[in-house]
Amino acid sequence: MSTIELAGVSRWFGNVVAVNDVTMTIGPGVTGLLGPNGAGKTTLMAMMSGFLAPSAGTVTLDGQPIWRRTDAYRDIGLVPERELSFGYLTGRQFVLANARLHRMPDAAAATESILEVVDMVEPAERRIDTYSKGMRQRIKIAAALVHDPKVLLLDEPFNGVDPRQRMHLMDLLRRLGDEGRTVLFSSHILEEVERLARHIEVVVSGRHAASGDFGAIRRLMTDRPVQYVIGSSDDRGLAALLMAEPSVTSVGLRPRSGIDVQVSDLGGFATALPGLARRHGITLVELTPSDESLESVFSYLVSRQESLR
Amino acid sequence: MNSTIATLALQALLGRRRFLLLVAFPVLMVALTTMITVMTGLEDPAWTLVGELGYTLVLPLVAILAASSVLGPEVDDGSIVYLLSKPVNRHVVAVSKWVVAWATTLLVGAGSVFLAGVVAGGGDRAAGWAVAGLVAGTTYSALFLALSALTRHAVVIGLAFVLVWEGLLGGLLSGVAWLSIGQWGARVGHELSRDLPDPVGLPWAIGASVVVTLAALWFAGDRLRSFALTGDE
Amino acid sequence: MTQAPAPRPGGVIHDLGYRGYTGPRESQAKVAWTLFITSLRHAYGLGRSGRSKVLPFILLAIMVLPAVVMVGTVSIIGLPELPTTYAGYPSSMQVLVSLFAAAQAPVLFSRDLRHRSIVLYLARPLSSRVYALVRWASLTAAVLLFTAVPTVVLYAGGLLAGLDAGEETLPFVKALVLQVLLAAMLAGITGLIASWALRRGFAVVASIIVLIVVVGVVLIVQAIALEERVSTIGEVAGLFSPWSIHNGVAGSWGASNSAIVDLSTTWTAGYLAAAVVVVATCLALLVARFTKVGAR
Repeated sequence: MSTIELAGVSRWFGNVVAVNDVTMTIGPGVTGLLGPNGAGKTTLMAMMSGFLAPSAGTVTLDGQPIWRRTDAYRDIGLVPERELSFGYLTGRQFVLANARLHRMPDAAAATESILEVVDMVEPAERRIDTYSKGMRQRIKIAAALVHDPKVLLLDEPFNGVDPRQRMHLMDLLRRLGDEGRTVLFSSHILEEVERLARHIEVVVSGRHAASGDFGAIRRLMTDRPVQYVIGSSDDRGLAALLMAEPSVTSVGLRPRSGIDVQVSDLGGFATALPGLARRHGITLVELTPSDESLESVFSYLVSRQESLR
Repeated sequence: MNSTIATLALQALLGRRRFLLLVAFPVLMVALTTMITVMTGLEDPAWTLVGELGYTLVLPLVAILAASSVLGPEVDDGSIVYLLSKPVNRHVVAVSKWVVAWATTLLVGAGSVFLAGVVAGGGDRAAGWAVAGLVAGTTYSALFLALSALTRHAVVIGLAFVLVWEGLLGGLLSGVAWLSIGQWGARVGHELSRDLPDPVGLPWAIGASVVVTLAALWFAGDRLRSFALTGDE
Repeated sequence: MTQAPAPRPGGVIHDLGYRGYTGPRESQAKVAWTLFITSLRHAYGLGRSGRSKVLPFILLAIMVLPAVVMVGTVSIIGLPELPTTYAGYPSSMQVLVSLFAAAQAPVLFSRDLRHRSIVLYLARPLSSRVYALVRWASLTAAVLLFTAVPTVVLYAGGLLAGLDAGEETLPFVKALVLQVLLAAMLAGITGLIASWALRRGFAVVASIIVLIVVVGVVLIVQAIALEERVSTIGEVAGLFSPWSIHNGVAGSWGASNSAIVDLSTTWTAGYLAAAVVVVATCLALLVARFTKVGAR
């Protein structure tokens, strides 16, 4: 059982702050590191894997610093986002070399079994530069897992992997987490994280925006003000009625047809709207959330976090 | 010394197109020396080729190509993290890579200088140039490895060092010899043959070569210890 | 005969308010000129990161420094003439000039191919042929600047120190003409290498071998030919390096004395023709290379 601890970690490059005062603990089980592109996920991953010194604060694995301590890699398996440029090796040679670098007693056997696990036995004889993106990803994961690490760090591991393999890899990571390993993977896709991790850490613009159980955070997210577009048989009449609802904070008419509605209490609005429409004989033809992008979810979390301070 | 890392470095060296350049150039030099010896029957021009072309240009160029091939591309595109995320001392990584570059430099660079020397007339003079090549090839390969660990422009800086500092300025100012890897090697070779130059004291030549080699290797390892993985620039 | 089913109606392109640009556009000449100026600036690291300015300007400083020292010596000691000839100066600094061309050619010729950003240029009203020629022209201008700056320093400094303008002007002009020829050849050769070898280090080393090592070999062959008194070999050997072409013509024009072999009038014409052939061949191959890339 291993734990990665970040205490007051910041990292800046010149006058750009990539990670801003982050404190988090990554324990056993699968954790998702969620954030939009450019949020600082890769910088955080680099610090956790010992490839970047924090500008301030400490990053430790089981109490020991990771930066400039090569022994830490006995317990860490790393899947970087970087492209694999060992194109002149076959997949098997590459994984075997990784096993040897870990001084495994039976490197060949470990290689074969891990190739089996990531379903890469058949193409293992081919040179890496002939591989597809998904195959490269899987061979990278094999190389990171070959020494049976206690901690597995994966930076955007599902990029370019086809859906069937994605399911397969997710099962694998889930199993590793259930075995008591510390598995941390980063992603900018909400659904990906939702399907794999119960515990998530959210970073936005270098800030630690949320952390905890996925469901709880999801609920926090659904309480936020949401924008909807409503289409109906009588837009103007409905708009007037909606304005009277306590759950609605603003109403606007769209240029051609439809209404923009901002809602503060999603539950209240959801129960009120159908009854309202029926009582006044208005037919609803459309109800669409207009800002479901992940970025807007994050920006809500960040502004909420700031208002709580 | 880690054999896995050395094997990977060797595969990286042999698997690239630049290896052809690395070999073709010394072969051309030896062929040219042979041609001139056979056609003119004179020793002097052939020896000029050995010293001026072989030792001063072919040897350092081979060292630059070899040292930058084992480390440069991996540092350049960041894929060296796959080697560094292992419980292997980074100094060991640096030394293992150097051993490959060093062996290549000696085999191809110093070897071709020796071969050209044999063609040009052999004897002590050839042996002298060969020893000079071994000494300078060792120091060159270590220095250029350190440069490759430090900057992406290692090749250009290495060339500037060899061509501008050692070549151009070394030709104008005799004091440059005190800080010239090529001259240190030549001084050691001078012990075998009086035909090689004698620009600096022997203890200095040996001491400086050893110090620069060790310092460069330590520095390369230290740079790898502090290797930082940043996002795509 | 069966007919392919007509596409079902239902697909529609929505007018989201995008507008084509219908205003006036610059001519292709203007586009080429902009590319020329940008490339020339990039060759010296201007408009790029601070780090990429270091190398070209250090090389330029080393290139100009001896000229400044020479001018200083002339004015302080009062020498009756400069310690170098105008045409001989770049040739005694050929290592620097070659290194500059070799190191900066990849900046102009490799990067767009390596990162495939070439398609962005060719998407503009700019043909791959013009792109290649403009890049070559700007590298030529960059190399020419590199040799012309110290030459101008020598000339202007010499005149200020009291040398006779009537005696100095003709060799100065001859040297500049030769430098145009030299820059065109160097830019053609290094540019061609850089457009093939996209790894920067690889291209630089290959260029250095072609420029510096070959001229070394040429010099040795010429020295042997002179000693053996077989003149034609020395003259033929000189055709194989831009530097020996430059030095040979400079010698026969009486502009410098750095050539080993004295050229007859016929051979001088031959050397000039060779220079033109070298440039033309490089340009043809460059255009072919970029046309092929642009077609992909």
